[in-house]
Amino acid sequence: MRTDRLAVVAGYVAGFALLFLIWHLAATLLVKSVLFPPPLPVLERAIVLIEDNILQEQIVASMRRILQGFLIGSAIGIPIGLAIGSFRIVRWLLEPWTEFFRFIPAVAMITVAVIWFGIGEESKVFLIAYTTVFVVIISTAAGVGAVGRDKIRAAQCLGASRLQVFALVALPATVPYILTGMRLAMANAFVTIVAAELVASNDGLGKLLWDARLFMQIEDIFVALVALGLLGFATDRVFRLLIRAFAGRFNATV
Amino acid sequence: MALVTLEGVGKTYRGRTGAWEAVRDFTLDLAEGEFFCLLGTSGCGKTTVLNMVAGFEQPTAGRILLDGRPVDRPGADRGVVFQGHDSLYDWLTALDNIAFGLRLRGMGRGERRAKAEHYLKMVGLTGQGAKHPSELSGGMKQRIQIARALANDPRILLMDEPFGALDAMTRAVLQGELSRIWAETRKTVLFITHDIEEAVALATRVGVMKRGPGGTLKAVIPIDLPFPRERTSDAFMAAFREVHALIHDEIHGAH
Ligand SMILES: Nc1ncnc2c1ncn2[C@@H]1O[C@H](COP(=O)(O)OP(=O)(O)OP(=O)(O)O)[C@@H](O)[C@H]1O
Ligand SMILES: [Mg+2]
Repeated sequence: MRTDRLAVVAGYVAGFALLFLIWHLAATLLVKSVLFPPPLPVLERAIVLIEDNILQEQIVASMRRILQGFLIGSAIGIPIGLAIGSFRIVRWLLEPWTEFFRFIPAVAMITVAVIWFGIGEESKVFLIAYTTVFVVIISTAAGVGAVGRDKIRAAQCLGASRLQVFALVALPATVPYILTGMRLAMANAFVTIVAAELVASNDGLGKLLWDARLFMQIEDIFVALVALGLLGFATDRVFRLLIRAFAGRFNATV
Repeated sequence: MALVTLEGVGKTYRGRTGAWEAVRDFTLDLAEGEFFCLLGTSGCGKTTVLNMVAGFEQPTAGRILLDGRPVDRPGADRGVVFQGHDSLYDWLTALDNIAFGLRLRGMGRGERRAKAEHYLKMVGLTGQGAKHPSELSGGMKQRIQIARALANDPRILLMDEPFGALDAMTRAVLQGELSRIWAETRKTVLFITHDIEEAVALATRVGVMKRGPGGTLKAVIPIDLPFPRERTSDAFMAAFREVHALIHDEIHGAH
């Protein structure tokens, strides 16, 4: 177990090192253009931005919006998904909604969101919640549908009431699906927040990208891109750990 | 009075492909403490019968009584061991799986733990209670299923080919253990199989089913051999041949 984990971490470090090495070689040997800076100047610029507290502020601004919208979207999506998965009537009623709205991407809603909520926090949080909610609903409902028939029957002939079947069997069996849905939604949230901040915002990583383009600060653009990649990578790791913990071994309840 | 009574039970499935009479006029009394093996070829309706006794499905004819009361839904008085092991809860440890029924009844943590440990020991898995189903072999999972059903102390244990998916050696070991557990607890068992040797090794009575459509009980043969059973003994062979003759007709279509 231990050595496994070390190997994984070592692999990641090597992988990232390789990525930066290729970037460096490509920038210094192949492209040789001021429009494609090698990693070192980008890192230097990042340090300046960090010392001036600018990078942190943009990261915090973006991540706060993501987290707020993501939590609101999940809090709405999970119970609706559970209800759709559990009751046929709810499915018939709500499936047209989810099937309709999930094809209207959040980026297409930016205009409406800004008209409704202005360019402040509300519009961003709304957009993130919007992009989260349908993905979470669909995978939660699918999870409820995928609970093995024998698992439910076993509980019934051990004396479980309907409520107990739901709370002690259907719900825990669905948790990995819920987490998977949230993981996908988180990836969407990154897309959405950058788009929203590019279009209308006073701060955030998207705004950093936009300003850098305006003033042709090419290093700033790369700082923002790398920051997005690293943040996304870190959040996704957290979800993968959670999913693994629930998928089998680590949690006990008696 | 019989513990379980099936009176002229029939089951007709209706679906897209029309009506299919899986079971017809199935009549049987199960006595308290007996080990009844229901034997039949694939598709003759064994699972259908067990599912109706369990209350998972409703008969379309006749009725099923438990302690004289009609069965109409699953309940804690009928413990079920399923053929596959998808019925175990992956997110719980082996011990928590065994204690699941006790937890449903609101039994205290300490008490249900002690009880679960007792049944863990009974199925020969002492010390393995902290493992999750994903960390157990197929044979171990079936042991856990048996322990889970027994821990709930049902009136009858319903087993649908519980060893069907196991290799021959593991199956023989588990048959021996089940036989020992039955001798210890004298729990009434309805056991489904299509393995003649398994039936003769375990049962106090073997019921042979006739092929469907309209699968029904063709004959019931008592197996009056002492436990533990000696599979190479002449008496065992004789019983095996008797059951085999009945099943042979089913396999080869003579009636
Ligand atoms: N839900 C269902 N709908 C329609 N037909 C069914 C259904 N369940 C079972 N049958 C049919 O009823 C018959 C008996 O099925 P059953 O599962 O009871 O057989 P079995 O004796 O348990 O067979 P096996 O040994 O292969 O498990 C089969 O012909 C099957 O096709
Ligand atoms: Mg069957």
